[in-house]
Amino acid sequence: MPLRNTTQRWGAVAQLLHWTIVALIITQFTLATLFDDLPPGAKKLALLARHKSVGITILMLAVLRLAWRWTNPTPPLPDTLKPWERSLARLTHALLYVLLFAVPLAGWTMSSARGFPVSWFGLFTLPDLVPKNKALYEVLVTTHGALAWTLGVVAIVHMLAALKHHFVLKDDVLRRMLPLTSNKTQGSGR
Amino acid sequence: MRILIGGAFVVTLLALPTVFAQSPGAAVTAATPHYALDPAKSSLEFTFMQAGAANKGHFKRFQVAFDFSAENLAASRLDVTIEMSSVDTGDQERDDTVKGADLFAVAKFPQAHFAASQINRTAAGYEAVGKLTIRGVTRDASVPFSFRTATENGVAVGYMSGKTSVRRLDYGVGQGDWKATDQVANEVAVSFALRLIPH
Repeated sequence: MPLRNTTQRWGAVAQLLHWTIVALIITQFTLATLFDDLPPGAKKLALLARHKSVGITILMLAVLRLAWRWTNPTPPLPDTLKPWERSLARLTHALLYVLLFAVPLAGWTMSSARGFPVSWFGLFTLPDLVPKNKALYEVLVTTHGALAWTLGVVAIVHMLAALKHHFVLKDDVLRRMLPLTSNKTQGSGR
Repeated sequence: MRILIGGAFVVTLLALPTVFAQSPGAAVTAATPHYALDPAKSSLEFTFMQAGAANKGHFKRFQVAFDFSAENLAASRLDVTIEMSSVDTGDQERDDTVKGADLFAVAKFPQAHFAASQINRTAAGYEAVGKLTIRGVTRDASVPFSFRTATENGVAVGYMSGKTSVRRLDYGVGQGDWKATDQVANEVAVSFALRLIPH
């Protein structure tokens, strides 16, 4: 599999970034669910620290991903899409990219507003994005959560669309993002 | 003759401790200033690593009694009492956690105490050698500090500052899950800058 994208398929780098981010987002929802139920204590602190480190990792991968997308060909949407489907796909993808930045940034800002510096796996400490501000913190708790759930919902829509392409429309949209597969057809669509 | 010499020697030996014991004692009343804390212009801070990032806290209430004369270190002493419930890490929830039974346990151990009756001169300044008690555990501790006086409105005010570190687990600060040092490091940096008023 080539590293770079072609006009038919996503390359290895784009696939690795895509699926790593998928795994990390699932990790984030799992960690958040786990620590939300815990009273303040060492265990909660450990899970929160992990959540922050993973979140910053997602933010870093999102930067790489966008940079990679801008410097690579993008496999086009299939020709079979109706104009509204095409618009919906574009909107979904744009939202996903925006949220990949917005959710971790809101979390990072929220931590700064609380007065808790964010460390990346204990290896380095990130700068505080805002000074300590209790009221802002309260707003950002809600914002971070709402953005995360929006990301979850949009990601599910994205996933359902991919499954529809694969099982109903039987095109290459999902296959071209999967490793160890090849496109059934040549060209950008059918 | 032998007996006489021997007798004089014994007398001298017996007299020596008395001489040594009395001369510093006399100097205390004569020359060693006694200082008390100016709380408004003093700080006792600590920096701890939480989840890999440095976090700061301080104590709002503590008392200091300091007898100090650079010319008479033997008569100098330092006594610090910290009100543990006055801990402020800038976060109410965290303060409540820190005051809880597994960490400071302020209900059972309301104060920490450092008592140093030995002040030594060092290359960089001085060190106070004594006993530090936190959470009911007493250990030997040595705290380096610098001291200077400044005449302000005709009063020789003292400024004392220094940095040291405390391993929290040596004093049982961290029971249960808090014994782990991956989230909250064992080493806690302590720094102080005190304004001391003679009285």
